[in-house]
Amino acid sequence: MKTLVLGLGNPILTDDGIGIRVVREAASRCPNGKTRFAEASLGGLRLLDVINGYDRVILVDAILTRGGTPGAIYHMGPGDLLASLHSDSSHDLSLPGALKLGRRLGMKVPDDDAFEIIAIEAQDVLTFGESPTAAVAAAIPQAVDAVLAAINAPR
Amino acid sequence: MQKISIDPITRLEGHGKIDIFLDDEGNVANAYLIIPELRGFEKFAEGRPVEEMPRITPRICGVCPEAHHMASAKACDAVYHVEVPPTGKMLRELLYSAFYVADHTVHFYILAAPDFVMGPDAPVAERNILGLIHKVGLDVGGQVIASRGKAMDIVGMLGGKTIHPVGAIPGGVSKAINEEERAQIEAWGHELVDFGLFSLQLLKDVVLANQTYLDMILSDAYTTPMYYMGLVDENNKVNFYDGKVRVVDPEGNEFVKYSPEEYLDVVAEHVEPWTYLKFPYLKKVGWKGFTTGKDSGVYQATPLSRLNAADGMATPKAQEAYEEFYSTMGGKPVHGTLATHWARLIELLYAAERLVELATHPEITNPHVRTIPTEKPTEGVGIVEAPRGTLTHHFVTDERGIVKKANLIVGTTNNYAPISISIKKAAQAMIRKGEVISEGILNRVEMAFRSYDPCFGCATHNLPGQMPLELRIRDAEGNVLDVLTQHLDNDA
Repeated sequence: MKTLVLGLGNPILTDDGIGIRVVREAASRCPNGKTRFAEASLGGLRLLDVINGYDRVILVDAILTRGGTPGAIYHMGPGDLLASLHSDSSHDLSLPGALKLGRRLGMKVPDDDAFEIIAIEAQDVLTFGESPTAAVAAAIPQAVDAVLAAINAPR
Repeated sequence: MQKISIDPITRLEGHGKIDIFLDDEGNVANAYLIIPELRGFEKFAEGRPVEEMPRITPRICGVCPEAHHMASAKACDAVYHVEVPPTGKMLRELLYSAFYVADHTVHFYILAAPDFVMGPDAPVAERNILGLIHKVGLDVGGQVIASRGKAMDIVGMLGGKTIHPVGAIPGGVSKAINEEERAQIEAWGHELVDFGLFSLQLLKDVVLANQTYLDMILSDAYTTPMYYMGLVDENNKVNFYDGKVRVVDPEGNEFVKYSPEEYLDVVAEHVEPWTYLKFPYLKKVGWKGFTTGKDSGVYQATPLSRLNAADGMATPKAQEAYEEFYSTMGGKPVHGTLATHWARLIELLYAAERLVELATHPEITNPHVRTIPTEKPTEGVGIVEAPRGTLTHHFVTDERGIVKKANLIVGTTNNYAPISISIKKAAQAMIRKGEVISEGILNRVEMAFRSYDPCFGCATHNLPGQMPLELRIRDAEGNVLDVLTQHLDNDA
C-alpha cells in the first residue's frame, strides 16, 4: 500500500505552514521507508497531481474555525468538507470535488476512508513570517504524534 | 482530540463579502467587495538576498507561483543589470506559455464553463465540472485533465519542480534543454494547440450559439468601459513574458506605453477606509471614485484588457480568433466583462502556439542560458502578465544585493476597483426599489465577479480556500436588509 503524508500550507505565513512543519518533524521520526512524505502550497487540481497514484493519504493542514482554540488538533475526512486552509482553492476545485473528478476520470485516488486529515487550528495566517505563534508551535509535538499514530494504525 | 463537524459559516470567515448599499428609494447606491489582506511582505523581504525572491515570492500564492517566479527573476536581472541570453529568455517564456495553457484551462473548464454549459440559473450542485462532464461527455473531461497535465509537465521539466518552479535565476535559467526534451515539448505543444482550438469551438457551440447568453454578454449589466492595460511586444502584439506595458483609453486609443522601471510614474494607489487593500489607478487621469469612462483613472488588467490594449496576437491561429472576436463583438475595444472568458481562450490558443514556436526555434537547445551577473546590484523592476493581470515586482538592494525595499502590485489588485464597479452594475440591474428582481441574483453577480478570475491568494490570502460569497444588502442607514450566501466553489 502506497501512503503519502502531505503537509499543506504556506511556510512563510506564520501559522499557515504548520502542516508542513509537522510533516517534516514526522518524517524525521519515521524510519519506515514505505511512507512517502511531501509538502506543498496548493489546492484543487494541483493537489490532485500530488496525490494521484496513492492508496492512502494523510493530509496535514492548518485550519480556522469559528471560536477555535489555536493549537487544537482535529481529525477529519474529506467527507467533512472541511475548512482546511489549503485543500480548497478559489480558482479550482475543492478537495472533495477534486477527489470526485479524479475518480470519475479513472485516476488512482484514495477512497474517502483512506484519506485522513489532521488539521491544526491556526491563529495568524495573514502575516508574513517564518515562525508560528506560540500556541500553535506548542501543538507540534502532539500533532506529530497524531501523524505517526495514523501512519502506524492497523488498516 | 475533538471530532468536529464544520459549520459552513466557518468557511466564510475572513472571506470575500460584498456589501450592497441601497439609497432611500431602494435602488443600488454602492457595492463593495471586502477582502482581507496579507500583511508584512515588505518587512519579510527586507534583509534577504534578492536572488532568493524568485524562490520566495512563488510561495505567496498557490494559484500562480510561476508568475511570481518570473516577475521576481526579471526584477533580479534588472537589479544586477544583466541581460539574459536569448535562449535563457526563450526557455523562461516557454515555461511561462505552458503555465498559461494550464491556468487558463483550469479557469475556463472548472470555473467559467459550468455557468454557461449548465446555465446560470442551474443549481450550484450541478454548475460544476462534474455536471459539465455529465453533459458534454467524459472524453472532454479527460482531455481537460490530460492537456493541463501536459502543460504542467512542461513547467516541471523547465522549472525543476512542477509546483514552485526554481528554474529562473538572475541572468537566465539554471539549465538548458536537450533535443529529447525539446522534441517532447514540441509534440505536446501541437496537442495543446489542438486543445486550444477545441476549446474555442466549444465556446462557440455552447455559448455563442445561444442567443440568451450572447444577449447577456452584450447587456448593459455587464458592460463597463474603462482603461485597459496589457504587456505588448515591439509590434504591439500581446505578450505574457516581456515587453512594455500599454494602456488604452475606453475608445481604444493608446494612453501610455511604459517600461517596467517607469511604473510609479503611471500607477498610483488609492486608499479607502473600509478595506486594507489599495486601489491602483492611472496617476495622470486621477482617482475619481468607483466610476468608469475616460475621466476615471480606473483601469483593468485581464485577458480582455490585454486584447484591448494590443493590436493583435503574434501567432496566426490566435490572430484569426482575435479578429473573429472583435468582429462578432462589434469592434474594438470590447467592454463586456463576460467576454473576458472568450478572450481567455484566445490567449490559451496563443500560449499553445507560442509554445510550439519556441520549442521549434533553432536556438532553443543552445546551452548558453545564463549571463553570470558581475555588476553591483542596485534596484530593479520586473513585470510579467500574470493570468489575472499585470504583475509588478520592485526591489531595491544594497551593494551586496540584500533587499532594502520591496513593492509588489499583484494581478488581481489592479482589478479591485473594476471588480467593485462590475458588481455594482450587475446588482443595479437585479435590484430595483428594494426588490430583488431576479432570483438568480447571486449567480449573476457572481458571474460578473468570476470573469475577472479574482485571486485573493496573493492580493490577500486564500484562507479556507473555497471562495464563498456573502452578499449583504443594506439600506441607506447601513442596516442589513438581507444576507445571501453561496459558495463560489464548483464542488459537486
